[in-house]
Amino acid sequence: MELLDARRAPLLARPFFEGGDPGAIAATIAHVPEVLDATMPFLAQMFGPSALPARTKELVILRTSALLDCRYCIQSHSIAARDAGLARDEVLALRGDGPLSNQFTDGAERALLDWVDAVAGSTGPVSPEIGDALMSHFAEPDVIELTLLAGTTMMLNRFCTALGLPTSPAALARLAEDCLL
Amino acid sequence: MSAIAKAVADRVLPGRVWLYANYHCNLTCTYCLTESAPKVAKRELGAQRMLEVAAQARALGFTSLGVTGGEPFLLSYLTETISKMAEMLPIVVLTNGTLFTHARLEEARGLAGAPVAIQISLDSADPVANDTMRGPDNFRRVVAAIDALVARGVRVRIATTAEHIDEHELERLCELHRGLGVADEDHVVRPIVRRGRAIDSGLGVDTDLIDLPPELTVTADGAYWSPFGPTVHGGRLDTDLLVSRTTSPLDKPARILLRLVQGRAPGDDAKLDIR
Repeated sequence: MELLDARRAPLLARPFFEGGDPGAIAATIAHVPEVLDATMPFLAQMFGPSALPARTKELVILRTSALLDCRYCIQSHSIAARDAGLARDEVLALRGDGPLSNQFTDGAERALLDWVDAVAGSTGPVSPEIGDALMSHFAEPDVIELTLLAGTTMMLNRFCTALGLPTSPAALARLAEDCLL
Repeated sequence: MSAIAKAVADRVLPGRVWLYANYHCNLTCTYCLTESAPKVAKRELGAQRMLEVAAQARALGFTSLGVTGGEPFLLSYLTETISKMAEMLPIVVLTNGTLFTHARLEEARGLAGAPVAIQISLDSADPVANDTMRGPDNFRRVVAAIDALVARGVRVRIATTAEHIDEHELERLCELHRGLGVADEDHVVRPIVRRGRAIDSGLGVDTDLIDLPPELTVTADGAYWSPFGPTVHGGRLDTDLLVSRTTSPLDKPARILLRLVQGRAPGDDAKLDIR
């Protein structure tokens, strides 16, 4: 799969290349510029700053990516999670390298991770107990955004895995420094 | 009036929509934008799609059509298709002019009197210089085709693509086309654009977005900013002037093109006279 560079970026994609390498996801979707044009603002809203704390969002993204076994997203969001303040051991636990219960004791975060495991780790409805537990800690708009975040992450997990998107050398170097490869 | 029709009426968008009928060609010209040759992928648009584009272009408010390739006359259905397209909008068809057999010429009689112009490439009044660029025996075959088409009442335009052309050479060319019954207003001279095979041949002028009029161009691979956009280099389709992969309905790429044109910095304009 060719990752387009700035020289080959279609007209609608050019703005996304102005700040340098836009990353493998944008450089791939750029092949269909009208889709990139619609997708990137949505992804920026979902994965960028919002009403939810960055730490909370990275719990959802990294845990979901681990459940769907997306190498690209696990590696990219291990870095994002560390930047959002998660400890290295928390990152490892979210990735499945160690029990979650040892690292996450806060009631809201435990309820959220149970919710993510139910949304991304199985099919069919989420049990009322898991839903009620989440709702006891988060407001309705938060639950909606968190669930959409898990779903959006799943979409990208499958996209990146199916197309075998490469993790950037810079990201790999950072992961190596943090012993997270 | 639709936004596109208004943009065309206000000259914000050019009125012509281009169609790449195909990419394969019986020739292998040294400066070909699309690296066209006999064995390349055909990337054919198809008669049905060409008629759909023509109908949608007219409905949107575009005012004329252009068909290019590859060599469009390699397609058996071309004459019938452009005849039908011309019932919707005036049309110019670009060809190398080397495939006009007697049967083709007789078929072309039906284009006489229709709003159709056959634009044939002829790069020099000197057969040797012309054939160096365009292939053996090209000059003789092209001149014969022009003569035969004009005799059948078909409007012929001549396109000269040249790296440099001096006054003397231009005058020789003009004497030639006048002698063949092609008027001065139907002779266009344009520079070689450095894309496609011209890059490897070290020919032509570099272009960017601002050099090219934003003429919506439909191909089998998507819609482009200009007929100089869907070029091929090293066997790979260029994407830098791709507007959208979506081409149907035509309204979609047309609106994106208009948005891109309106987003250009003030003062940007087409610098090259390449039509």
